[in-house]
Amino acid sequence: MSLKLTLNHIYKFGKEQFLLLAKHITLPRVIIFLIVLFFPPILFGIDSIIKFFSDRNIFIPLPSGEYILYISVQVCVYILLAIGLNIVCGFTGLLDLGYVAFYLVGGYTAGLLMTRFGFSYFVVLPLAVMNGGLWGLIRGAPTLRLTGDYFAIVTFGFAELLFRVVKNEIWLIQDINGFVKDIPAVKIPFTKIELYQNWHHYYHILALIGIVIFITYRLKNSRIGRAWIAIREDEQAASCMGINVIRYKSLAFAVSAAIGGLGGAFLAPFWGILSAKTFEFWESILILCMVILGGKGSIRGAIIGAVFLGSLSEILRELLLRIPQFSSARILFFGLILILLMRFRPDGLIFKKSG
Amino acid sequence: MDVFLQQLINGLVLGGIYALIAVGYTMVYGIIQLINFAHGEVFMLGAYFAFTLVAIFHLPFWVAVPISMLLCAGFGLLMDFVAYRPIRNAPRLSALITAIGVSIALQNIARIIWGAKPQPFPEETLPSFLQQVTPLEDPNIYFSFLGINFTEVAIKFPGNVSLSYLDLSIILLAVILMFGLNRIVSLTKIGKAMRACAQNRVASNLMGIKTNQVIAITFAIGSALGAIAGVMVGVREYIEPTMGYYKGVAAFAAAVLGGIGNITGAMVGGLLMGLAEVFGAGYIDPIIEFVAKNIGLGEFYEAGKISNSYGSGYRVAISYIVMIIVILIRPTGLFGKSTGHRA
Repeated sequence: MSLKLTLNHIYKFGKEQFLLLAKHITLPRVIIFLIVLFFPPILFGIDSIIKFFSDRNIFIPLPSGEYILYISVQVCVYILLAIGLNIVCGFTGLLDLGYVAFYLVGGYTAGLLMTRFGFSYFVVLPLAVMNGGLWGLIRGAPTLRLTGDYFAIVTFGFAELLFRVVKNEIWLIQDINGFVKDIPAVKIPFTKIELYQNWHHYYHILALIGIVIFITYRLKNSRIGRAWIAIREDEQAASCMGINVIRYKSLAFAVSAAIGGLGGAFLAPFWGILSAKTFEFWESILILCMVILGGKGSIRGAIIGAVFLGSLSEILRELLLRIPQFSSARILFFGLILILLMRFRPDGLIFKKSG
Repeated sequence: MDVFLQQLINGLVLGGIYALIAVGYTMVYGIIQLINFAHGEVFMLGAYFAFTLVAIFHLPFWVAVPISMLLCAGFGLLMDFVAYRPIRNAPRLSALITAIGVSIALQNIARIIWGAKPQPFPEETLPSFLQQVTPLEDPNIYFSFLGINFTEVAIKFPGNVSLSYLDLSIILLAVILMFGLNRIVSLTKIGKAMRACAQNRVASNLMGIKTNQVIAITFAIGSALGAIAGVMVGVREYIEPTMGYYKGVAAFAAAVLGGIGNITGAMVGGLLMGLAEVFGAGYIDPIIEFVAKNIGLGEFYEAGKISNSYGSGYRVAISYIVMIIVILIRPTGLFGKSTGHRA
């Protein structure tokens, strides 16, 4: 009897939850979800159609699916970074000009441990995340009482310092210009499976992004997220209302930096090579640009901004390669985008500031 | 000791250049509380404008430099008008982000126009006493000035220390310009308006000061000084699109060191920053070698496991370190007044 009641209870509860969830399931969302989930097979399908035509001497000017997939993985890394930066820039409202520092820390932690000590990726991943978070705290501790442009300048200087360290410390990196070569591919333990193809990377990063989005959504809608937004709106008022500003700010720095470290840890085996050039100052600006484009404080906005600017960046790189003088012009575009955004839509192009 | 003195001279020259750039940062910050990231790019454009005028339009050096200063002043006005004026009342971080956008855009425009390669200033177009080599026609006379023939390439001091005429003129010019600026700010009407705006922009507007005009003039003066610093660096070292970024950050660090918003502070900070950079870059390597050999890591050092080029590698980083330390320990800098909440 009681079992029947319990089952009934569970059934009712499940139905309620499902109906709640079902409200959010709309057709466009389902379509986007399916496209994202089955992106590689779709691309390979298109590839085989193109091949079918090209066998019959009809050429369709489309890039190969493999290439598009590779770029998608790159864009996914940017999505991860944009979500991470959004925590400091969007939620707590501090301008971080050196986010690339944590990307660098994660990348080199993973790269060096995997090449030098042969650690498994699954050991390295949490280590890189923790190391990223640790550096976030190291940078965060002295800058807690700074706000506005002074905070921005310190973060900028910190990122540039780490960049110089990686470039110069030969005993650590064992190569010039921060090159770490031959980073092994991800091996799944107890099996012989190696993740080395682009579609492997795609699902790999998709899983990471899923976890990160889940965590940030939960954080945003929790007491912690409310505290962050309160700090953004007015730090002194928040402090008066009993929010421990130091604690919540440190937490924001650590979480944001940990996500940066995660992005770096993924990058190392994905590229198989690291170079200091990847972590230059303007990369931070690119990520910042993504966050601002999507609207500070909005996770959806950060994702859309990253998809838009990330693909724009890759397309421009490809187009501008043909004109040697203009090879750096894509960075110029991001400068112009920043100026125009600040002039006309300071709260972001896609979403209004939420929260 | 000789090395020390020579480095001291180099540091003073670099410090003079930094002071000229830092003044531009500090004046703008004093009035509108904006870190004008793009000021370094104006400095770079000043060098490129002079370079183009001399190398392509074949103007004499003495004509090219003032024109370049004027062009840069105009450029500063344009930048203020196009990018900063529309967002003057927006949150301050928007202005900072705009400034970064302008900086990145200008740097890459320069890269597109003039190419990414470092270029030396064409030596033959310089006046003879600024050239680094003796002219070939008469090896005995380096240059003549007011009928006096100078025979040496540089002023020689006892003990193999020399000060080239180029460096001497940079120091002199920097001092003259700084003095002139100081007079303008403290004596003239526009200087008074600037100081008023720095104290309280709204109140000075109510008193009938055209604040927008004052801000524009501030941008113009700062940019002109930046331009001449750019020419100095171009003549002394070389011109490249990223020079505005690196030297600009160092000069900004100098402005922070002296107390941002304070013109005297920027001058002193620039000088200290130049000395710090030259001495830091010059003495890191010997110190590391000495330490490594004395704690039993000599073999390690010889094998090249420890870099022997820290000086050049970390040269740029010195300014970041100074900047961070000053902001963390004493945000008002050496001469800045404590104004409570400054952010």
